[in-house]
Amino acid sequence: MKRRTFMISAGAAAGAALLPRTAFADANRIDWYTSSDANVTDFWTNIVVPKFVAANPGVTVNLVDTDAPGLQAIEARALAALANKVDPQADFFEGSEARLPPGALDAGLYVDFSKENLSNYSKLNPLAADIPQNITYRGSQVLLAYDTTKLSPDKAPKTFADLVAWIKANPGQFIYNRPDKGGSGGNFVVRAIWEANGRDPSMFKVDNYADATGQPMLQKGFDILKDIAPSLMDQGAYTSGNTQSIQLLSQGAVTMIPAWSDQALSAIKTGVLPATTGLVQLTDLALAGGFTKNTIPVNGLNKALALKLQDFILTEEIQSAVITELGGFPGVSWDYVSKELHDKYADVIPASIPTWPGGDWDKNMKDGWYRSVAPNVARS
Amino acid sequence: MAEPVLIDRPRADWTGIGLAIVLTLVIIFPLVVVALWAFTNVWRYPSILPQEFGLRYWTQTLSRPDVWQSITTSVSLACSVTVISAIICLPAAFAFARLQFPFRSILFFSFIAGQAFPKFGLLVAIAGIFLGLNLIGNFWGVVLIQLVGTLLYMIWIPVAAFQGVDRRMEEAARDVGASPLRVFWSITLPQAGPTIGAAVLLTFVNTFYETEGAWLIGAPQVHTMPILMISFINNQPVIQYGAVLSVILWIPSFFALLFARRVISGGSFARGFGA
Amino acid sequence: MALASASDIVGARKQGGRLVGLLLVAIPVILVAWMVIFPILSAVVTTLWQTGSNGVPAFTLKTYQFFFSDGYSLANLYLTLWTTALCALFLLVICLPIALYLRFAKGRLAAYVQGLAIFPLFVPSIVLAYAFIRVLGPNGMVDILLNAAHLPKIRTPYLTPWGPLIGLVWDHIPLTVLILLAGLGAVSDASIEAARDVGAGRLRLLWNIILPRLGNSILVAASFAVLGIFSAFTLPYVLGPAAPEMMGPFMQRTFRDLYDAPNAITQAVISFFFCIIFGLFYVRSIVNNQRNR
Repeated sequence: MKRRTFMISAGAAAGAALLPRTAFADANRIDWYTSSDANVTDFWTNIVVPKFVAANPGVTVNLVDTDAPGLQAIEARALAALANKVDPQADFFEGSEARLPPGALDAGLYVDFSKENLSNYSKLNPLAADIPQNITYRGSQVLLAYDTTKLSPDKAPKTFADLVAWIKANPGQFIYNRPDKGGSGGNFVVRAIWEANGRDPSMFKVDNYADATGQPMLQKGFDILKDIAPSLMDQGAYTSGNTQSIQLLSQGAVTMIPAWSDQALSAIKTGVLPATTGLVQLTDLALAGGFTKNTIPVNGLNKALALKLQDFILTEEIQSAVITELGGFPGVSWDYVSKELHDKYADVIPASIPTWPGGDWDKNMKDGWYRSVAPNVARS
Repeated sequence: MAEPVLIDRPRADWTGIGLAIVLTLVIIFPLVVVALWAFTNVWRYPSILPQEFGLRYWTQTLSRPDVWQSITTSVSLACSVTVISAIICLPAAFAFARLQFPFRSILFFSFIAGQAFPKFGLLVAIAGIFLGLNLIGNFWGVVLIQLVGTLLYMIWIPVAAFQGVDRRMEEAARDVGASPLRVFWSITLPQAGPTIGAAVLLTFVNTFYETEGAWLIGAPQVHTMPILMISFINNQPVIQYGAVLSVILWIPSFFALLFARRVISGGSFARGFGA
Repeated sequence: MALASASDIVGARKQGGRLVGLLLVAIPVILVAWMVIFPILSAVVTTLWQTGSNGVPAFTLKTYQFFFSDGYSLANLYLTLWTTALCALFLLVICLPIALYLRFAKGRLAAYVQGLAIFPLFVPSIVLAYAFIRVLGPNGMVDILLNAAHLPKIRTPYLTPWGPLIGLVWDHIPLTVLILLAGLGAVSDASIEAARDVGAGRLRLLWNIILPRLGNSILVAASFAVLGIFSAFTLPYVLGPAAPEMMGPFMQRTFRDLYDAPNAITQAVISFFFCIIFGLFYVRSIVNNQRNR
């Protein structure tokens, strides 16, 4: 007993000695949060922040990396701070979505970029247009990653119809993730919906969803997915995220998956995927891509600095680095990137990537998939 | 009095051996895989062992300045929370177990709310409370929210402990003139000891690995080890970082296990009072 | 005087005990009421008081009616109940023998077994999930070894309802073993000796001496297992099928992807309800124990 008491009190004393001092948000320190992968944080640490700090002496950027639920927790905290008129200790959210947390948009938590007079605002790619509280600076596209030892590149499917035929001819060799858990599966589902609706992405806009017209359009896409479901791995299994799909491909459990281009490239570089992994894009209509969204809370202590930072990442210097260092797609229109870069990367990065609108279409696509496609009574 | 043994010594301890084998397979095997991973550069099917061993991820993990800071923060958080929780909860557990007072059952029951209701819907409300107290980004703010998370374990389990104490022994001690405090210290607490020890261990470990509360209240100033692990593992096909962190933590875990063995090994306590 | 029943003495202390008891429980109760119960109540009110189609806020049960009329939601609830029940059963079946063995055995083998049983406590869920995929997943370690031994591969439990089941049982073994083992500490060797002296066999010992004393501990262990599994999130969503999904991932999805707070909180309230039922068993047993003594 005595020894235990001693151990406990020793632990408490040690703990007290290790207490960090209370700290508050700094003026001139931007608290930056992201839910994106480590390669993005490395990009910011190595390239963006040094350049920004060099251009704005006296400013520091505190990079905090977490996952999507973690980011939403801090946004919820900022929402509570708005109501209590207190400092949220957050200035910039990368990889965010202004519609979350529920109620934030109505409460006016996020800055409306269309009213902020950012010098580079007009350069943004119109395809990336969403509600004015979301702003972008980089994009990426989903393509198909496959094992070239099991499928030779000349036989790789080039159109969606080819892909469906290949999936059915090779049961158990294809898998995609649930659309809400990762964009690679999500954009595959979107591609199926486009296929079923005449391959016209412009039919789906941010503000033109209505249950009566929208549901049948989504259902036609779901029918295609239900059709291929029994030919997927384990007769209709769906992984829980982008990385789990990549893990299965690296384990050789499947031959082909949809994957984000930058994730696939970085996986090949780090050896997670073998060098014999091939990448292919569909030629009739590419798999969808997406633009990463940033938001800025109106009550951040360093809002003005955060806006400056957002403006800074839209400059040509950083946008070129997005292409060369990150392997991504610029958030500005191609006119605002140097011509040489455009030509050099024209093969890898197509002229435009089709996108799927956030908001009601996205919500109903995801929920509809869970209700229509996911339950598979054929699976024992 | 001879020590009662259910298993005759001369024969081999087949039950023990059987259990050891099964548990080794079930528990050690996945952990060996994790440990192997920590020392892997490249590992793909179908090879049983990694194609390329290496310490690349160790150097990358250990060279980050916040790794050690986050471990010490987590340890000091877990210690503080466990101690404070024991101080406020054990008397309460004793009261719930032995004393009568109005609303006892409802109050006892209310602690389930902390664990049973998922937190995602409560984040705004809880953050609002802490913002009002000015405890955001603050060590003691994190202590407070993690403390709330430990209440269920630290009350419900010790209540079972106190109720399992043999009352006749206490009455016998009181009959010979021991003061209530002496009775508590020498009779009640030792008998309830193993279960309370289990509760303390569980509280410490759960607090150490607690993520949601520490993140919501502590970010961006307070970095705990599990928060760091999330940012390492986040959406990464590269699992090595998580494996390295896990392996680093197994050393202090080993000591915690020894502590558990001493306190919770039920035989010594019960035997003392049965003889 | 010496034969006065103990309850007289205890009864006499009960009057003063009323206030002392409240004082002792004050701090934890206030903490829980302030930081947990109050936010929960305000969240629950948002599900019961919503703006109707005519723009006027009114009391409504429509989110609850929707849940109970929606086949998809009910399938998720049923899966969660099935997983929780099976997990609790497996946990008791696996952990009771381990705890019994550890209670009565000594020596290094017993220490090793105890160390193994408690070790999963120190493995975070996310690392466990990845280890599971690597070991039991398709072309995982088990498949590799079977392949090397020229045996057929197993059908992987990954992405089936058995995946989260195996993972959750693994994860909860330490908690259950600890609670049962600690509870067994109250079973004194003297009573075992006495029973053996009158010729009781092992099974009799178990049934008549050990299990009655262990009742409370089994209930606590079961309650914690049920609580933990019902609201589990990481292991079910990483290891389990897309549909039906367990309540944890379902609630998160409703909240985060569908931006639908009222329905998500409704689902949370319903899960909460089931957890409460289990908690009630334990509370009742505590009350009974108090009354009987």
